[in-house]
Amino acid sequence: MDLISQRAPASPPPAPSSDALPLLRVNDLLWFLYLYPLRTLSALDPRSLIHPIGRLAEPFVQFRSRKRREMVMRRMLSAQGAGITRDQAPRIARQFIANSTFRMLDDLVLGRPSVEGKLRCNGIEGLEHLEQGKSAGRGVIVLTAHFCAGRIAKRYLATIGYPMLSVRDQMPRGDWWGRLGRRILEARRTDLLHAVIGEAAYVQDPGSTLKILRRLRSGGLVNIHFDGQSGTGTMPWPFLGLERRFSTGIFDLVRLSGCAVVPMLCLGRSTAFRVIFGPLMDIVKAPGREAFIRDNLPTFVQTIEKQIRDHPGEWEQWTSF
Amino acid sequence: MDEFLGSAASRVSASPDTLDRIQKVFGESIPVSAGDEDLPYELKLDQAASLDSIAVVEFMMAVEKEFGIAIEPEFIEFDFLRDFPALASYVERRMKGRPDSET
Repeated sequence: MDLISQRAPASPPPAPSSDALPLLRVNDLLWFLYLYPLRTLSALDPRSLIHPIGRLAEPFVQFRSRKRREMVMRRMLSAQGAGITRDQAPRIARQFIANSTFRMLDDLVLGRPSVEGKLRCNGIEGLEHLEQGKSAGRGVIVLTAHFCAGRIAKRYLATIGYPMLSVRDQMPRGDWWGRLGRRILEARRTDLLHAVIGEAAYVQDPGSTLKILRRLRSGGLVNIHFDGQSGTGTMPWPFLGLERRFSTGIFDLVRLSGCAVVPMLCLGRSTAFRVIFGPLMDIVKAPGREAFIRDNLPTFVQTIEKQIRDHPGEWEQWTSF
Repeated sequence: MDEFLGSAASRVSASPDTLDRIQKVFGESIPVSAGDEDLPYELKLDQAASLDSIAVVEFMMAVEKEFGIAIEPEFIEFDFLRDFPALASYVERRMKGRPDSET
């Protein structure tokens, strides 16, 4: 049976038309505070200003996100493979909301042109695995899941000589704005995200795969979030006890380019984070596209499942799981 | 890349044999929907890229295999592959640069 399904790359869902929106929402005010005064403060001294503000704001954010937190708890419990008990779920869900908040604050830090001295890395483990992958000269795919510290880690790694091309979906239009927010704030948010993410290949771009291949053939690094669901081909596989469709494009890239694959886990916040590289993934060189995917997908899934089971509060995808 | 892309020189410099061989490789690697057989090369490539961008990579690698060349990283670009005469001219230049062609 052919389990790989092909589809056109999903475009971000259309945002509601402006006419249907109220003039102003509470979210507009919060986004205004985030994109203007907070962003300006972040330019001055992020470490001593932004994170204390985050700590002060956390009770308010937890209160405002209570429905989201409940949804996250339900999803944690329905994903039985995550091994989260009823007793643990409320604490991990609170942690998830707090981490999401601090990730947004860290984005303000990363949005600055220079982050020199602003990111405090507590350690990088397993860098020798990345070096080993690079030494073959065919590039390295850095395999990750959506963890809160991923952007911080990538930016830091770029400053020490390991720049990565990020593979991602086109930025979706937010559906949380009122008319004023959409007119005034949305473009500023997009600018910020572009500055935070840096060099990227957007899967909706027809040339994205070639851009990735180009980076790999130059011996460079490409970061792919394996728990993302973008891409034209997908295959279902059990994941944390539920079925999830995984993009198969990564396997095509590995098969065609012969690149190495190194898993990476990033934990923490800009004030204290660490990066852990795992050993090179053992790639099964099965003949043919489908066999190659079938033989390698389970190991890839197990790798990110273990990361999520070990650090469930830092995984960002509970809301879309 | 600019020396190839869209230049008048690139449009006249590739031999018919090279153009035919690339067309053949293209036909073998890029799936074309029924009714779209008469579309120009670049539109067929656009369609393929929107449905399965890996097909474009496979086409590029099939060209490399057919002519025994490696396309340099700076030429691995969608706009470059879309420009059929430019691609053909580049392939010929790369073939001339191969050690076994320097006799």
